[in-house]
Amino acid sequence: MASGTATNADPDQQTVRSNSVEQFYFPRPGQSLPGIPPFFGPPSSSLYLANDNEAKVGNQLEPNPSQSTDWDPQAIVSNLTFLEQKIKQVKDVVQSMSNRENQVASGSCEVAAKQQLITADLTSIIIQLITTAGSLLPSMKNPLSSNPAVRQLSNTLGSPMGFGMNANQRPSVDSKTDIPDIGKASGYEELINSLNTTQDERDELIKGPNPCGGEGSEPTPMEDHDVKESDDGDHEGENLPPGSYVVLQLEKEEILAPHTHFCLICGKGFKRDANLRMHMRGHGDEYKTAAALAKPTRDSGSDHAPVTRYSCPFVGCKRNKEHKKFQPLKTILCVKNHYKRSHCDKSYTCSRCNTKKFSVIADLKTHEKHCGRDKWLCSCGTTFSRKDKLFGHVALFQGHTPALPMDDVKVSEASEQQQGSEPMNEISRSMGCFPCSSSDGISNLDMKMADDVRGYYSPMSFDPCFGALDDFTRPGFDISEDPFSFLPSGCTSNNETSRVNKGSNVPPLGLWKWTETLSDFSH
Amino acid sequence: MSREGQKLDYAAAGGNGAGGVGIGVLSLDLLGQVLDRLREPRDRKACRLVSRAFERAEATHRRALRVLRREPLPRLLRAFPSLERLDLSACASLDDASLSAAIAAAGAGGLAGLRRVCLARASGVGWRGLEALVAACPRLEAVDLSHCVGAGDREVAALAAAAGLRELRLDKCLAVTDMGLAKVVVGCPRLEKLSVKWCREISDIGIDLLAKKCPELRSLNISYLKVGNGSLRSISTLEKLEELAMVGCSCIDDEGLELLSKGTDSLQSVDVSRCDHVTYQGLASLIDGRKFLQKLHAADCLHEIGQRFVSKLATLKETLTALKLDGLEVSDSLLQAIGEGCNKLVEIGLSKCSGVTDEGISSLVARCSDLRTIDLTCCNLITNNALDSIADNCKMLECLRLESCSLINEKGLERIANCCPNLKEIDLTDCGVNDAALQHLAKCSELRTLKLGLCSSISDKGIAFISSNCGNLVELDLYRCNSITDDGLAALVNGCKKIKLLNLCYCNKITDSGLGHLGSLEELTNLELRCLVRITGIGISSIATGCKSLIELDLKRCYSVDDAGLGALARNAFNLRQLTISYCQVTGLGLCHLLSSLRCLQDIKMVHLSWVSIEGFEIALRAACGRLKKLKMLNGLKTVLSPELLQMLHACGCRIRWVDKPLVYKDC
Repeated sequence: MASGTATNADPDQQTVRSNSVEQFYFPRPGQSLPGIPPFFGPPSSSLYLANDNEAKVGNQLEPNPSQSTDWDPQAIVSNLTFLEQKIKQVKDVVQSMSNRENQVASGSCEVAAKQQLITADLTSIIIQLITTAGSLLPSMKNPLSSNPAVRQLSNTLGSPMGFGMNANQRPSVDSKTDIPDIGKASGYEELINSLNTTQDERDELIKGPNPCGGEGSEPTPMEDHDVKESDDGDHEGENLPPGSYVVLQLEKEEILAPHTHFCLICGKGFKRDANLRMHMRGHGDEYKTAAALAKPTRDSGSDHAPVTRYSCPFVGCKRNKEHKKFQPLKTILCVKNHYKRSHCDKSYTCSRCNTKKFSVIADLKTHEKHCGRDKWLCSCGTTFSRKDKLFGHVALFQGHTPALPMDDVKVSEASEQQQGSEPMNEISRSMGCFPCSSSDGISNLDMKMADDVRGYYSPMSFDPCFGALDDFTRPGFDISEDPFSFLPSGCTSNNETSRVNKGSNVPPLGLWKWTETLSDFSH
Repeated sequence: MSREGQKLDYAAAGGNGAGGVGIGVLSLDLLGQVLDRLREPRDRKACRLVSRAFERAEATHRRALRVLRREPLPRLLRAFPSLERLDLSACASLDDASLSAAIAAAGAGGLAGLRRVCLARASGVGWRGLEALVAACPRLEAVDLSHCVGAGDREVAALAAAAGLRELRLDKCLAVTDMGLAKVVVGCPRLEKLSVKWCREISDIGIDLLAKKCPELRSLNISYLKVGNGSLRSISTLEKLEELAMVGCSCIDDEGLELLSKGTDSLQSVDVSRCDHVTYQGLASLIDGRKFLQKLHAADCLHEIGQRFVSKLATLKETLTALKLDGLEVSDSLLQAIGEGCNKLVEIGLSKCSGVTDEGISSLVARCSDLRTIDLTCCNLITNNALDSIADNCKMLECLRLESCSLINEKGLERIANCCPNLKEIDLTDCGVNDAALQHLAKCSELRTLKLGLCSSISDKGIAFISSNCGNLVELDLYRCNSITDDGLAALVNGCKKIKLLNLCYCNKITDSGLGHLGSLEELTNLELRCLVRITGIGISSIATGCKSLIELDLKRCYSVDDAGLGALARNAFNLRQLTISYCQVTGLGLCHLLSSLRCLQDIKMVHLSWVSIEGFEIALRAACGRLKKLKMLNGLKTVLSPELLQMLHACGCRIRWVDKPLVYKDC
């Protein structure tokens, strides 16, 4: 359970965390100064803030990145207000604990959990203080956050923090229900550990130092995570409140770039940084050291990654952050698919139907699975890809009826001719003495039977007529002698059928009707 | 011939003899009325043969026709212009060509009045024939296409042109899919009865459309379909549905029944037999919603019954008439509760229910005096006491099934025979009853069906008792009653002239002379003589000449039957439709003669005819090719028979069952 939650990056958890820690720094991709490695230079990234007004501030700051890290009194005020609230909350919890202790003596596990909560809250307050101070004094920021002591603090104390925030957000009465028992405590640790590891991975994904200087800090595609989000509408039901996440916008070139990691020596591109590192080994022994092969070290200000959402660089698109009803994209893969689907040419054409075009190759492959098969046709000429759709249509419109595929008619006719008449003819040819009995009432074997007209009638259950109609027997018999004597009449009746169909309110059944009639004539 | 028939005969003959006075002066209409009152087809035939006036009257008056061969079909349709019902189910070698030809010959108005057509098992008829039929019969109301296994969407689509269709049976039309069903429901919106049993390709989507398009539906059979609860949701919207059968729908469960119970109150009969996932809870909720339920069949699907079901059942006190609970584990208290709760019951089925005891039965029947049918098959705990209580309480009893109830004996049956004068059917298979029991049963003069299989202590004497008073007997099963001899048969045919179905399998004391007696049973249609090792061609000849109505004959393992017997059949048994001659001593010549002569033969089983050569099979089958619908042969022949023959058989709608059995001669 714990690991599941962790890998899925439970939105609740993330929301909570980003609510409490309001500011995150992101190197703005593509904006890092040339020649300066993005993670070691002065922070040139624009600042996206969580609250609405702060987001606006961030946007205002965007055109002038150099100012973004300077004094922002508004942000600091809001941070301080937040801290104030938080301290008050912690105070409340502690007070309620002391009250409760008086009442119930036995809730030891509850108490332990609350203590854990308080520790977590205190930790977050400390971190908040540090970050605020960091934003206050730009030059302090990096040393502070890279200070091993602080890192350690945030590592050790940061772990229960997700949980602490969770409790913090809810009214204290509610929080009781969420408190895990002792048995689950280890589970939580596990959860938190894995959360941390995902954070690590996330950090790597988002800020992984890039040997390719020009590319800036290009996020790696999400395939590493095995997250299957091919649809850019995936998060529709998510409904994150605006400002509860950090918005990241990639440039068009980055979205469309096939590779995101390039070898500085030979220029070969890779999808994954790990693959690039493996590749680098071939360029010399210096790249084979453990340090060079290890994952690049983090230099993040905080271990808890924010909830990240993405914006489409196409201005005017609903997925663009400038849009009034902005709907963010959930993953980088979503960004890529969305951008290709909505703002690029559809260059992949289906080779079967030659009409459907796609810009994402996976879409083409999905289409090809169905293309050309299962065409469900209505009598009105509309086609459907699925039977239930056709039946829904038929149910809706009076007089419409499913049309049987034209191919079937041809096939059945062909097979009937082949199976029915041909072998019979052949056999009657090959066996002269036994004319096929289905085409001839008389068998040569037993001429006596044929002469005995009464033999053709049952004496009892088929009582109808033979006494009375003896006179008619012979002429009537002649009629069915010729196996094909029915044909002209059969045709007229077919014609009648089609006339009836045309005359009635029922729409004509389609072309096949006529094909049938014609083929009857030719038959 | 019946009495009224004889009188008419006399009148007609007298009339003609007296030169135009008599029958001839009556109007055609009046004569038609007379003919309508003749129940026996034989009598009508006699009238027709004797008087031209009757012949004319019948020609204008005849409403129903059953045709057995295709050759006279065109002429018959012309001769009877006011036909309303046409049965082509037994019409040998009917195909598209002959059907279209006959319809064309009948002329434009010839079939205008036709309302019902039965084409069951007419597997040679395809969509062309059906299209011609539908076009010629504007008033068509009912079509039966069941067991045409080859029929698919195109055939059904042809029927969809009959806009006035009210009844349609498509049982076992295996190739019919949702598409075909959709065609029908759109084309025939006034459909009232529909059966799509065994049409396994039909899914929830099709049923949903059916429910939307045919609001008039009263009776629906979706047995053995792979449909789920969604279908029941759609079906529950049908406001006029009275009868719903869903036997063996294993995707349906209690949830579906609950959906069904939310519909209107029109439903009167529900059959959920063999629905594995239905429990008493679902049935209880169904009953809860349907206060007017009359028939509830839940055979072989319930494993237990809870109090909730029993209490709900009691709410149907006034309406429930038929209840089937086969295969359920019952208790005395449950039977008592049923008896008290549903005292209008007419039919109860407890076949293969474990735990049925005398006490249970007596508490069940105590309050249910209307019971006419009681099925206690394999309830092997019951004794004479149960029969006593049944006899005391159910004076109207008509049908009693006691197969494998081996604890009963003649004393119990005596009570039944004395108290239930209306008894028409009794099944005593494997009950070990003796001649004394038959002596008592003979008091039931209404007896139609008597099954005595495996009661080996029954002798000629017992048969004589039955024959003395049960002149209406139609079906007699003497399977493995091996004490019966030719004398027993002689006694039988003396009293029971109306026997239609007779089973004498393994009664190995019977010889040709016994069959000679059977020859006087003119109405005999089904005769099973399996493993009668003493009979020869002579006995078969007397049957073939005497039993003119014979439709089915089983001669398996009659080792002494030879070409002479088949020759007699070939010359005389024109109505024969099913024949089993496995292990008989026939040659290729006899087989050829048989198959080329018998024009109604549709189903033949011929395994282990070791005297017939491959050429013999080939020629014989070619001679009968267009007529055969079912064939059972040794697997070895599959490769040696010519492929074009097999292809042609297939094209004519014949299904071949290839068997791989070792040749074993058994003497019973």
